[in-house]
Amino acid sequence: MDWLTRVMVALLRRSAGLLPADRRVWADALLAEADEVPAGRRRLAWLAGGVRLTVREASPARRLGYAAAFAAAAAGTLWSAWSGPAGDPAVVPNRVEVISLAVILAGLPWAFRRARGPADGGRAARLVRTGGYAALFALVLVRTAVERVAYAPPNNVAGSGAWTRGALFLAVMAGYAAGMLALTARRSRAVPATVAVGTATGAAVGVLAFALGPLGFPLRFTGSWPAGLYDAAMVTGVLLALCAPVVAGLVAARRAGHTQPGGFRAGQGAMAGLCTGATAALVVAVLSTAAIALLPYDTGLQHWAATHVGHWAPAVGQWTANLGPPRIGYVAGNSAFAAGYLVVLMVSPLLGCGFGVLAGLAADDPPRAGTS
Amino acid sequence: MAHRSGFSAQTLAVLADLCATPSRWRHGYGIARDTGLKSGTLYPILIRLADRGLVEARWEDEQPAGRPRRHLYRLTPDGVAAAAAALAQAPATGGTPARTTSRGRRQVVAR
Repeated sequence: MDWLTRVMVALLRRSAGLLPADRRVWADALLAEADEVPAGRRRLAWLAGGVRLTVREASPARRLGYAAAFAAAAAGTLWSAWSGPAGDPAVVPNRVEVISLAVILAGLPWAFRRARGPADGGRAARLVRTGGYAALFALVLVRTAVERVAYAPPNNVAGSGAWTRGALFLAVMAGYAAGMLALTARRSRAVPATVAVGTATGAAVGVLAFALGPLGFPLRFTGSWPAGLYDAAMVTGVLLALCAPVVAGLVAARRAGHTQPGGFRAGQGAMAGLCTGATAALVVAVLSTAAIALLPYDTGLQHWAATHVGHWAPAVGQWTANLGPPRIGYVAGNSAFAAGYLVVLMVSPLLGCGFGVLAGLAADDPPRAGTS
Repeated sequence: MAHRSGFSAQTLAVLADLCATPSRWRHGYGIARDTGLKSGTLYPILIRLADRGLVEARWEDEQPAGRPRRHLYRLTPDGVAAAAAALAQAPATGGTPARTTSRGRRQVVAR
């Protein structure tokens, strides 16, 4: 243990040197106190906290890292949207969409910093913000890939509604970004556990929904045993998806503490449900739209889809789902899926919030012994 | 992500600890021991409070025998006022803040 402590002291000294002068004094203070802490695991934990402190306080470097990652994501998405054959009707809307989104995502944190304070320093807040922004960029990336095929001949599904759909999509994305920033700001009313519980639950639901219908359609199985199993999984999945915001809301409300007023607990439940619904919608939208975007290029996926979803006829660029009429072409179907996911992105957080607030109100956490 | 008072439960715990003897200079390990906070949680809180002018800090004047000089902290007059206001608003414990145990769970401080 001694050698580990010495290593940690050396690490803390070295990392403290990376801090700005006005912050280095705090690392020195923590180091000076280390001798007071009982030797062994407690002193090691104290020193490890010091290393964490130096990482956390090296904020200019971290901010630079975030800015660089944001610039790289924006540039990559823009490059993908920018490329396209001449005359492709999707290229101009895609470019406008990506540029607008990058401006919105860059400007919102600045606006929220003024209104609600900087990002909470906790790990949950950082993860939610980083993961959320990455998901939004990923969704734009795969959506532009789908639209590039959808708007091109022979599909030509753009129509006059392309700009309206784009504007609506941008508004929804801005809403998601604003929600993420508001919930993870230092002056947010959501306690960290609320956001963590809601987001983790929502991510699990999103992955489950994607697994049950990766291309937006229910899967088809030939054998009676696999088909029965899948049907049972579908029913279970739907029940779990409906219960998830309720459970997240209950957990968040109870974690808020029984001595908190009912309104505060209901608020935590609502925010946990909101996080659950929003995260689930975002995860399933990103994964499913990515799978749809890959479909025209991946023969393996086409074969799998032909077996489990419907018939793929690449010669005419037509996709006929086993559930829908033949007039649903592949790309039209894709476009419809994209629109469908837009609806999911709008409705799911509201549903989650509603279930969550009910759960928060219903949370009955009796006083425990030994507390006042 | 904060308490209704604008401070997190952990920050309220630190404020409550410092507020108990506002004129006394305290050292970091003592506050950590009283509040149950880990160093990686406590020191960022002290830094933020110092940045906001609610806590003042200084090094011990003289070099004590057998140990390094300590960094000492106490509330400023603004800090005393802010702490009193925040603790009065803390509904969880009727004026005392939630406390983070060594396992990271919030619990009520019985004082």
